[in-house]
Amino acid sequence: MNNTFQAPTIEYGQLAPLLLVFGAAVVGVLIEAFAPRYLRKSFQVPLTFVSLLGAFALILVQVFVSGVPTAPAAMGAVAVDGPSLFIWGVILILAAVSVLLITDDDHFVPQAAAVPGSAEEDDALAEGAAHTEVYPLVLFAVGGMLLFAASNDLLMMFVALEVMSLPLYLLCGLARRRRLLSQEASVKYFLLGAFSSGFFLYGMALIYGFAGTVDLAGISRALGTVSGQDPLLLIGTALLGVGLLFKIGAAPFQAWKPDVYQGAPTPITALMASGTLVAAFGALLRVFWVALGNLDWDWRPVMWGVAILTMVLGAILAITQTDIKRMLAYSSIAHAGFLLVGVIATGDARQNADALSGILFYLLVYGITTVGAFAVVTVVRDAGGEAGHLSRWAGLGKRAPALAGVFAFFLLAFAGIPLTSGFFGKYAVFAAAATGGALPLVIVGVVSSAVAAFFYVRVIVLMFFSEPAADGPTIAVPSMGTAAVVTVAAAATVVLGVFPEPVLRLADQAASTLFIR
Amino acid sequence: MTTHYLVLSALLFSIGAVGVLVRRNAIVVFMCVELMLNACNLAFVTFARQHGNLDGQIIAFFVMVVAAAEVVVGLAIIVTIFRTRRSASVDDANLLKY
Amino acid sequence: MELYVPILVLAVLAAGFAVFSVTIAPFTGPKRWNRAKLDAYECGIDPTPQPVGGGRFPLKYMITAMLFIVFDIEIIFLYPWAVAFDQLGVFGLVEMVLFIVTVLVAYAYVWRRKGLDWD
Repeated sequence: MNNTFQAPTIEYGQLAPLLLVFGAAVVGVLIEAFAPRYLRKSFQVPLTFVSLLGAFALILVQVFVSGVPTAPAAMGAVAVDGPSLFIWGVILILAAVSVLLITDDDHFVPQAAAVPGSAEEDDALAEGAAHTEVYPLVLFAVGGMLLFAASNDLLMMFVALEVMSLPLYLLCGLARRRRLLSQEASVKYFLLGAFSSGFFLYGMALIYGFAGTVDLAGISRALGTVSGQDPLLLIGTALLGVGLLFKIGAAPFQAWKPDVYQGAPTPITALMASGTLVAAFGALLRVFWVALGNLDWDWRPVMWGVAILTMVLGAILAITQTDIKRMLAYSSIAHAGFLLVGVIATGDARQNADALSGILFYLLVYGITTVGAFAVVTVVRDAGGEAGHLSRWAGLGKRAPALAGVFAFFLLAFAGIPLTSGFFGKYAVFAAAATGGALPLVIVGVVSSAVAAFFYVRVIVLMFFSEPAADGPTIAVPSMGTAAVVTVAAAATVVLGVFPEPVLRLADQAASTLFIR
Repeated sequence: MTTHYLVLSALLFSIGAVGVLVRRNAIVVFMCVELMLNACNLAFVTFARQHGNLDGQIIAFFVMVVAAAEVVVGLAIIVTIFRTRRSASVDDANLLKY
Repeated sequence: MELYVPILVLAVLAAGFAVFSVTIAPFTGPKRWNRAKLDAYECGIDPTPQPVGGGRFPLKYMITAMLFIVFDIEIIFLYPWAVAFDQLGVFGLVEMVLFIVTVLVAYAYVWRRKGLDWD
């Protein structure tokens, strides 16, 4: 132990997108503190968009002006490399689109502290109160996502995990309608999330005990010096894996996903289903490829099992669902399984780059389609809020052909039908996996895709070929934001399905350097 | 001997994990999670001693702050649902299924 | 021995401040006595009779306790900085000021939203 500390060097330029998002979140808190109530929203919404789009612009500057960095920033704590920058771009786009949904006040409770059904709640509704804290909370969560995907040591990853999760726990409990469900989703998400981060942390402690460092590159170096059979290392890897697999909702840690997706306000579900999944895959890849890449003989068989279980469970349980949001949640579980196939498909550098590029492209197309699908869910309304039950969607194609058509298109993209973006996403991942020696996994993946296609098509049949109920749901006139989200998502799904080359090439370039250490 | 501390930390972690699974009161479940985090802290500090570097001790600081933030968020959520339902039992929270 | 002079000075200053505050308080403070203020002091709760089953606490206690915990624990980051602040130099100072400003933003929010008011 030497007693001379040196001031660390921080590459502010590389970290600028992160700093902008977090800075805007802090300013958002100040606005909440000092701006009068009627002005808050008109400050918060522009601030949120400017920071998200500004961060996106900073990423473009980094890529096209400064060039992709070749060494980790902030003393090795954050790695701003090709995959990070691509994932940051994806998260920021998805977050900006989700915020368009969030600007529709209608989804959030006027006063979270008021007991549901009480006089205080009625008062808050009557005076038009609103929790504009939603915007800073979303910005904190998005900042956490960005950091989570780019963190190059386990401590940074843990802090980012919590910065991402804590605001989401709160946001889940803020649904305006069906508040009991929403609060219950919040409690479940919180307790299970805290439980899983406990596992992540203990895994991190054991790995630190093994390697003497929590730096991902340092762990990788320590792996080279000893045999891979150290119990500290193996148990630590397993516990880290539990924490990370929980966040992506892989089986057998998927139980929270349907409950939370159903109970949370739908715009927040859209943000979680897209942004959190992208960020968690970034972190998962970094831990298992960078830090534990040389241990793949030990983790690969387990990952095989997890991937197969996730795909099969997601596809089969989705069939039995009667609630549209729960069905989309199980579909998200199945997609997490498909993406895990890509995580397993490691090999030489070329193979890794192919697999990584497939995963990056898949994350983008899946995320954008998911946000679009949840946007459609927000406008199909019943007296008590969104018409969640599938039977209420019967005959929607006759009452609102355009809306039902767009939703059917999103479902086909989830199923991976050619000429939709989902097809190329699945193709890229499965092709990389097939050349990477994971052919059995690909076969399971294709079969569960077919099973999944069954329930997507079932919803489409229900919407177009059954008679609408006499007292069917009303189609709310979508707000500007919601309409924009549906349009953008549909356009992206078409364009990436017909003309995916430019984005595929971008993903290839981002993946070509792999993760820097 | 640092082994004793590691065994203690593993025991505390297991007690916490089992507590999360078997206890029904959300507040007790949550306290068990905190016990798990503190078991991690003990492990970090022990390993820091073993390796002779300070990383583990600094990590323990971060874990404490994160745990405090988690307490605040968690209790807010649990108190809200308690005020709605007059119960903090995780078994009573059963509206979301199938 | 002169190493201990600053500590001695600090101790004298601290003791002086304490004595000054205690002596000045009876002359400057408002005197509005009521029953509760004449009770034996025990965390602001009536010591007797105890409510059955420990009773329920108003939510205000939890909010105060939570605010205390979350602001109290932030201080922890000042310790490593205090240990090495001269080696870290201006960089450390600037970072610490930024950190405290961020905490103050949260404090301002709590204050403006009446989180610190008891009633």
